[in-house]
Parts: sequence; C-alpha cells; structure tokens
Amino acid sequence: MDALIVIFITGLVGLFVGMMKKPVLTLSISALGLVTAFILTLFSRSYVSIFSKYNGLSTSPLTDAFSLLAIGLTLLIVLGGFNYFKKDKDHTADYYGLMLFSLCGALILISFNNFFMFFLGLEIMSIPIYVLVGIKKSNVLSAEASIKYFFTGSFATGILLFGIALIYGATGTFDLATINSIRGIAEPSPMFHIGVLFMLAAFLFKVGAVPFHFWSPDVYQGSTDAIMSYMATVVKLAALSAFVTLFGNILVDSKGIYQTILVVVISASFLIGYLSALKQSNFKRMLAFSGISNTGLAMLTILNADYGSLWVFLIGYTAATVALMTLSQAIDKIDSEDILNWKGIGYKNPFIGVVILISFLSLAGIPPLTGFFGKFLILSNAYQNHLFLVILGLVSSVIGAYLYLRFIVLAFSKDSNAEKISLTPLQYVVISISSLVVLLGASILIF
Amino acid sequence: MTLLVLPLVLALISFIIPEKFVRYFGLAGALGSLAVALGHLSYFNPEKYVSLFDPNRVFPLGLTFKMGYDGLSLTMVFLVNAIVAIILLANYGKELAQNKTFTALVFFMQMGLLGVFLAQDGILFYIFWEVTLIPIFLILYWFGQQNNNPVLMKFFIYTLLGSLGMLLSFIYLGSTYQTFAFENLALAGSFLSAKVACWVACGFLLAFAIKIPLFPFHTWQPATYTTAPMAGTMLLSALMLKMALYGMIKWMIPLTSSGIGEIKWIVITLGSIGIVYGAIIAIKQKDIKTLFAYASISHVGLIAAGIILFTQTSLESAIVQIINHSIVAVGLFFAADIIESRTGTRNIYELGGIAKLAPRFGFWFATMTFVSVSVPFTAGFIGEFLLIKELFVAHWFTGLIASTTLVFGAVYMLRAYQISMFGAPKMTAFEDLKWNEILVFALLTVAAILIGISPECIMNFVKPSIEHINALMVGDFNFIK
Repeated sequence: MDALIVIFITGLVGLFVGMMKKPVLTLSISALGLVTAFILTLFSRSYVSIFSKYNGLSTSPLTDAFSLLAIGLTLLIVLGGFNYFKKDKDHTADYYGLMLFSLCGALILISFNNFFMFFLGLEIMSIPIYVLVGIKKSNVLSAEASIKYFFTGSFATGILLFGIALIYGATGTFDLATINSIRGIAEPSPMFHIGVLFMLAAFLFKVGAVPFHFWSPDVYQGSTDAIMSYMATVVKLAALSAFVTLFGNILVDSKGIYQTILVVVISASFLIGYLSALKQSNFKRMLAFSGISNTGLAMLTILNADYGSLWVFLIGYTAATVALMTLSQAIDKIDSEDILNWKGIGYKNPFIGVVILISFLSLAGIPPLTGFFGKFLILSNAYQNHLFLVILGLVSSVIGAYLYLRFIVLAFSKDSNAEKISLTPLQYVVISISSLVVLLGASILIF
Repeated sequence: MTLLVLPLVLALISFIIPEKFVRYFGLAGALGSLAVALGHLSYFNPEKYVSLFDPNRVFPLGLTFKMGYDGLSLTMVFLVNAIVAIILLANYGKELAQNKTFTALVFFMQMGLLGVFLAQDGILFYIFWEVTLIPIFLILYWFGQQNNNPVLMKFFIYTLLGSLGMLLSFIYLGSTYQTFAFENLALAGSFLSAKVACWVACGFLLAFAIKIPLFPFHTWQPATYTTAPMAGTMLLSALMLKMALYGMIKWMIPLTSSGIGEIKWIVITLGSIGIVYGAIIAIKQKDIKTLFAYASISHVGLIAAGIILFTQTSLESAIVQIINHSIVAVGLFFAADIIESRTGTRNIYELGGIAKLAPRFGFWFATMTFVSVSVPFTAGFIGEFLLIKELFVAHWFTGLIASTTLVFGAVYMLRAYQISMFGAPKMTAFEDLKWNEILVFALLTVAAILIGISPECIMNFVKPSIEHINALMVGDFNFIK
C-alpha cells in the first residue's frame, strides 16, 4: 500500500522534473522511488503504516513477494533501458512516468480484493503500455503495434467488463470473499459461469496464451527493447498473479466447465509457442513465441492454485528475460533485430557469453539454474491431477531446449567478424544482477 | 564435502591463474582430488554408510540435500577422480591443456560426476545428472571438430529428453512422502503395484538407456564420440555413461523392484542385440574412433544386461566390468587420438606399419588391445566371464548371444590393430610416445592387470552395499539409518 503510493508520487514528481530535460535527474528520482518502494514492501510487516488499511487491497507474504519481484524488475528495466531513453531527451520522463504508473496498476493487480480494484488495476496497468508501445512515433512497426495492442486490448477489456457484470448479476457483489461465501451456500445461476468464461477469455488475451496470442509477437517486435522486457515480465507477472488469485481461489471450478478449456489452452500454448519460435528470425519475436509456451507452463499453476510455484517460476523466467533484453539493447542494430546479429557474440565477449549461456539454459530448465526449480515445482505439484499436461510440458520443454540451445550454439560460434560489444556501466550492473538471480535465485527456497 | 567442493574451487581457480601454469595446475589439481578420494578410501569401512552432508530437514522442493557414500558410491567416486587425473595426464602434452576454459570445464564436469555418485536424494541426483551435460556440451562444442553442431544438438536434446523421463519417475515416487531422500523413495517404491512400478521403471530406463546407450537409443553415440576432442570422448565414455549404469544399480532397480521383473527381459534383449550389433558394425568400420565407439556399445550392452539380472554375482562383476570399461575406453580413445594427431587421419586403411616406426606405441597399443579383448589376467576377463555365466544361468540363449562378445571383440580389435600397425609403413615418420603418454598406458595396464589378478578386492568392497540393495528389494529397511 505504502509502496503503491510512493511509486505513484515518484511517477508524478518524475514527470514534473522531466520538464528540466535532464535524463540523469529523472532516472535518479525514479530509481530512488523504486528502491524506497522495494524497501517499504520488504519490511511492510515490521512497521505501522501511517495510512489506514484499505479494504480493496489485501496483502499476504506471497503477494508481497510478487510485488517485490514486480518492483525489482521495473527497477532493473528502468536502469537497463537508460541508455536508450536518454537519447530521446524530450521524452525520457514520459517513459519513466508511464512505466511507474503502469507499475502501480500491476501492484494493484497483485493484491486486489474485489472486482472493482481488479478492473482499476488492469486498466491502470494497460493504458500506459498502449502509449509506451507506440512511443517510437516515426517507426511504422511501432505504430502498428500500438494500434493493434490498443484495439485488441480494449476489446478484451470490454469482454472482461461484461464478464464482471454477469458475475455481479449472479451474486450481487464485487467483493471476492462475499462471492466465495455465496458460492459456498448455493451454486449460482448459469449466468455466473458465463461471466467466468468471459473473464477467462479476457485473461487469456492479457497473458498472451493460445488462441489469443497473435498480438504478442507483433507488439513485442514493434516496441522498444526496454518496453518489451517490461511487458514480458512485469505485465505478464501481474496478469498471471491475478489469474491465479481469481481462478485458483475465488472462481473455483465446481462443474469442470473451464478446467477443460484451460487444459486445451495450456496444451496448445506449450506446443504452438515453441514450434512457432523455431521458425523466427527476429530475436524479439522468438522470445515472444517462447514466452507463450512459458505462459502455458505458468498457467498450469491456475489449475491447482499453486501461487508459490508460480512465483519461483517467474523469478527464473523474468530475470532471464531482463538479462537478455538488456543485452539485446546493446547488440541489436537500429534497423535489424535479426538473430544473426548475435552470431559469435558469446565467443568474442566472454562476459556476455556467460550471460547468454545461463539465461538460455535457465529458460530451457537445466538445473541448477532457477528456471529448473520453477518448472520442477510447477510440474511436481500438477502431476497428480494433470499427468497428461505434465508429460506434454516436459515434451514441449525439450523442444524449447532445442530452440534455446540452437541460439546458444549460434551465439558461441567462432565467428571472427563478430563485434566487440561495449556495455554501459548501468547495463553491466543490470545484467550482472539479473544473471546472479538466474544463477542463484533458487537458493531463496532454502530459507 | 571437500570431495565435492574441491573440483568446483579448482574450476574457478583455473580461470585466474596465468596461462603457462594451467597445465601444471590441472594435473596437480586432479592429483589433489585423487588424494582426497584416497583419504576417504583409507578410512572407509565397506559395511558402513558414510554421510557427508545432511541438514536433517526437508526443504521446500522436497529436497533433503543428503549426500554420502557406501562402498558402491565410493568405488565410483574413486574411479571418477582417478580417470579425470589420467585424462588430464593424457591431455598434458596437447595444446588444449593450456586452455583455461577447458581445464575449468573438466573440473566442473568432475564436480557434477562426483555429485551424481554422492547424491542420496533423488532430485539432487537429477540435478547433478543434468549439470554434467553443460560442461560436456561446451567441451564438445568449443574444442571438438568444426561443424559438429547437428551432432551435438542431437546428443544434448536426446539425453535431455531421456532424463525428463527420469524426472517424471522421481516426481511420482517423491510425491508419496513429499521428500526425495533415497530411503523415502525406496519406501514409496516398495508399495507400488507391479504395473505402476513398471511404468516408473520405464521412466528411469528411458534416461539410462539413452545414456548407456542401449541398442535402439544409441544413435547419438558414434557421431558424438567421433567428433569430440579426445578428453571429451574419454569423459563421455569412461565416466558419463557410468552414471547411467550406476543409476540403474543404485536408483532404478531398488526403487521399482516390483516392476523390474516386467522389463527385465526387454533390457536383456536390448543389451544382447547391442552386443552383437555393435560388434558387427565395429568390424566393418574404417574410422578408428567410430570403431571404438561401436565397440563401446557392444561392451556396455553386456554390462546393462548383467545389471538388470540383479544377482549378487552379476552386480559385483558388473562393477568390475564398469571399471574395466573405463580403463579400456580411455586407453583405446587415447591410442586413436595419438594416431589421429600424428598422421592426420583416422582411416585405418590409410595407416600401416606404425609398429615399425614407433615400437613403443606399438607395444602399448597392443597391450590396450589385449585388455580390451579380455585376455586372462586382465580385468575384462573376470568381468565378462562372470557376466556371461550369470546370463547363462538366466537363460542359455542369452548366455550364448552374450558370449559372442569375446569372439567378435577379438575380431574387430585385432583387425583394427593389424591393419593400422603392421604391414609396410604408409607414412615416413611417426613420432614415438612421450613420457606422459607412456605413463598413461602403463597406469591403465597396471590397473587392468591388478584387477584381473585379484578382482575380489573390488568385489568385496562393493559386496555390503549390494547386499543392502538386495535387502531393500525384499522389503528390509533395517539398514537405513
């Protein structure tokens, strides 16, 4: 709660300071705010807040963990993207302000308590993203991505609202706890289930799962690297967290209506994501498609309300994504994001090589990297009820391993024409931190 | 814990020392870890289980981090440390020995292998099992033949696919008690019905059959061995596939004892096919490295078939044969590499008369050839003889098939030796062996002959652990502390 307020104020202050057109100042203020928010969340249980408790949001150690992850990731992205943002001096503050506002929405989405806050969080999170995607105004792809994302996104929001309205009609309340108790007394009318299905569709769109996945590669490709890594990590994290909260705990499937749908969606995501990624020549599109499969795996946690595993999985996935996207900012050329740009990079630049290696191996789920533990937790918790999905998940992760390995081989090929990449100190810091998380993130399980 | 941590520390140190000292450092480090293993060996009582690390609690994944060894594990640990030292010694004169990354990767690999053999927790076993894939992949990729990407990709993906079957089996067994400690898994396994146990065993078998490799799963192996650098081939054949054989003894069979009966004959059949198939293909090979690779398939088929019988003798002799195979693999691939690096070809028809030009090499290669065809007084004789005897006891026909390995082995090995070493010299010069190369061959030969003369020292050493596993299979959990 305090963190939310701090981030919002930081965003506002950042916008005003931005008028001075001093990127470093904007960056310091944003980073300072994020660090403060991080610390406040970390110790939120050991001090008394000056704000009275608001009933729309409820926190628990797990939601705190998700919030910490979201804030930490945003901090990394803000720092790592500075090299790009500062070039556009007039708009540096816009980037940062919008990202911080979007983060506010994400934080609400992690800890909402009723449908009202839920919808508010989702919109606060999404609207700045629509803008951020299209912020490269001169770029056709960026404009296309923005329009595409905005139209489909608002359509999904409409469906979502419709769903919420139907659920409200069936139960007479927005409050999740009340809905739960009403369902405990008597099974609600079919209207309720229809509402749930509408919400499901909107959610699948937001997390980018098959069959609502078409926007994600296009939008990822059109947006700048930092914004893409924000979308692939924080936005996905918040949406998945809300997904699990709602469908794992509140809208529990008593009739097996959407369980079947989810099983089909997850199996399709497993395969379509990786298989499409195999044919991509654009780095960002490849990550986007492989992200679809990873989302499928994360959605497996919905079927058994496995909030903790989702968190561990997301640590590995998001940290690797941030590391790679920060690298991509340094490696990709202005007019080309072809994966061939990465040829021999790992061989010429040992540090970058190690980062590429552990990030992709973690995504592929090779122990002892964090990605393995996330996958392992999810699969071992899911196998009892969904053995088929677990086997399919393992098979798809082999396809994924092939995809990632092929990339590693490409990056490590002995190509004497490969460039020597120079990273800015900030990028070094961001990449080091995120690769350390990829390397040792699982040790958090020991505590 | 020094046992496990030392290679990791060595791997990290290799990055910071100056390049000209790397080869000394590599050798000294390997000898150091061998000394640590010797220290453990000298205090060890085969009857006892020694715990190395046990935090005594269950961590969130069901991980317990239990590590320790019994006679069986310690034998494998010693084998790993000894073979790594020999590999680095064999590599000593090469340019590669100066490479920091290479030395670090070998030590990293050693750490993973030791972890596999020391783990007393299913997931820990799985983690180390997969960890070994990373360094070997990089060794093969960076220091292997150029343009071997498809081969490597196949190797990596294939073995990864297999180990996921094992992961699934572990998850299934571990869910009963929410922990993956060996004794809990064994307890959970003992309650399984035969049908379920059979499926769980199949999951394990998928991983092990690919790694060993058993007959229809062997397709990755010859090309990978052939394109790998010498040290990589040695690590793969002498140590990495031993993980799978060890895994069968230590994990697969005790945990799924009620299902083993169902898949026993499948494994024996595949093993027997592998014995004949590998040998026949080896007879027709021109490429000396590929020839040895197929010979390896033939040898390990016999070991796998012997292990699945799971009698006291078959297991003890399987251990002897595992050690023997490591010795043979290192020796033969070393000889192949000496030939390749000095003549630039691996085709045996382009070779000839080397024995005249390099008599010392002729002698030691012949010795390794004889060790490989299991002449009496070498380790292979005892191991193969006992394994074939056990297969005869199981069924006369499998015994008959298995015993062809002796004949075939002599055919392909002697053929390879004869064509490449005798006849008129087809090259002008062949540099004879250097001191470190002679030392490698001598050490291997001495080890093979020592084991051949008194195999009971190894058999007695592993006997108590195998008795324990056998007791476990009939439901006796008393020995678990």
